Amino acid sequence: MSQERSSLTRRDFMRGVGSVALGVAAGFPAPASANTAQTDTSRVVLIRNPDVALGVRDTDGVLVQQMLDDAMVALFRQDDASECWRQIIRPDDVVGIKTNGWRFLPTPPEVEQVLRRGVLQAGVPEGNVAMEDQRVLRNEVFRRSTALINTRPMRTHSWSGVGSLLKNYITFSHPPDYHADACASLAELWDLPITRGKTRLNVLVMLTPQFHNIGPHHFDPSYTWPYGGLIVSTDPVAADAVGLQIIQRKRRLVFGEDRPLQPTAHHIALADTEYRLGNADMSRIDLVRLGWEENSLI
Amino acid sequence: MLGCGSQDSASSMGTLGPLPHQIDGWTRSDFAQTYNRQTIFDYINGAGEVYRSYAFGHVTVVAYTGPENIAVTVELFDMGNPSDAYGVFSYGREREETGIGGGYEHRGGVLCFWQNRFYVCIASEPGAAASDQALVDIARAISEGLPAESDRPNLVRLLPAEGLVPFSERFFHLQQTLNYHYYVARENLLKLNVRTTAVLARYRPGAAYLLIVSYENESAAADAWLSFRDGYVPDAEGSRAVATENGKFVALRTYSRFVVVVFDAESEAQAEQLAQAALDRLAESMDWGA
Repeated sequence: MSQERSSLTRRDFMRGVGSVALGVAAGFPAPASANTAQTDTSRVVLIRNPDVALGVRDTDGVLVQQMLDDAMVALFRQDDASECWRQIIRPDDVVGIKTNGWRFLPTPPEVEQVLRRGVLQAGVPEGNVAMEDQRVLRNEVFRRSTALINTRPMRTHSWSGVGSLLKNYITFSHPPDYHADACASLAELWDLPITRGKTRLNVLVMLTPQFHNIGPHHFDPSYTWPYGGLIVSTDPVAADAVGLQIIQRKRRLVFGEDRPLQPTAHHIALADTEYRLGNADMSRIDLVRLGWEENSLI
Repeated sequence: MLGCGSQDSASSMGTLGPLPHQIDGWTRSDFAQTYNRQTIFDYINGAGEVYRSYAFGHVTVVAYTGPENIAVTVELFDMGNPSDAYGVFSYGREREETGIGGGYEHRGGVLCFWQNRFYVCIASEPGAAASDQALVDIARAISEGLPAESDRPNLVRLLPAEGLVPFSERFFHLQQTLNYHYYVARENLLKLNVRTTAVLARYRPGAAYLLIVSYENESAAADAWLSFRDGYVPDAEGSRAVATENGKFVALRTYSRFVVVVFDAESEAQAEQLAQAALDRLAESMDWGA
């Protein structure tokens, strides 16, 4: 899936030739790609609750269940969440739930358990479900998986701009080989044999997202805030694009100026314009908002 | 807790040497982990590239336990040489204080300093933070065990002082790092590589950027200058600054084995004056081999 890479400069973006890398609107030249998961529009559900996240490691599991159930119903337009799970997971599926275990801001166990319950509700035997992060390539269930569920918190990242749903698949490649140009080619991870066409659901955790870094890899909880949100979609690019806008608007609010992410999270826009994996352009995202609306930043 | 995978045994490599066993009521764990250029991703995933963009050799990670069983994590990065230790320190710092090593930053529950060829971070565990004073005390004790000399890279010392925004200097080698701090282009127009050294800093008035790159020789600098001129300022006429599409100005110069670029100057005059100030400093200090 090699791509003909253009040599766009900062001045090109100023001219509006392609504004992706600076996080403005989209628009890189778009070569054809084999990875054509893209549809005309993508439905994304943003659901929020002011009481679900009281701290980085203080999550209300009951509210998480309720939020995810409501989000699934809105996303798949079914009568109840069980029906939604049966729509995306078959009883004979082998399901890997790709989580994220970054020690400072992991996917909350409450989210992991709701997703696991959903898969089991769809009729998948316990032995055909696994939850993993770093060792997916060594996990027997992941190796024979027919379906993937992808979940992680969004946070700023000193090499890729943000830790995104797209980036969460980096552990499907070892050693990782997607770090050039601020991880611009992360969408290629979604075209590996172990991942291609398998992802049934993406849950971007925005309960306490991180909007700023300390140094290359450290963490300070004061750079998180209780946003109390979950972003749910079948399109990881669209979910990431929504999450990215929230992070950028939070930075503007806190810093009092437009302080771009360092580096820019252009891997999200490129997943749309170069790799055709999904939609990063907000005009092609059907955003459904549920629950708490105050300070939604989008 | 500190990562897993193909880390080496720190003890067997003798890398705990500079880390005191006892520091004012804090006791170092006997269990440490060491990650090298290949295994760093097992510890910090993609951000490992930040360290690998310098002459990073390995990092030793060890816990200290203090009063009421509060733990801190100490990371001792061997960056290969003092310039690169300063470089990785400058990568993300927003402020800088003096008094520990060559300089330190203390933000939230994390204190990082650089000293000689080492970059050291002491981090509180979330939820059971050590006091600010404890982090400072631990840092000072570790600093005492490291080689003292901590000279900043010559290229950083060459930056013109007038208008320099404090703590904005970034020292690095590679294109990815330049684009991290100031996105220029996808293509490596300035031909940055592991043998080039570069410093980028912000200047007032406005938010101009001064970039100075040192190449292996004059020929390499000339090649880079030509590549950048053709790729970024093809509309340049002679040495005059060029107006860019955002209403700012870019100036490009070369001198000996250096290339100087000013980005986002408020005026043509500012661009040319800042570039000239950098050239003057380079000319003055050629003797000390920046």
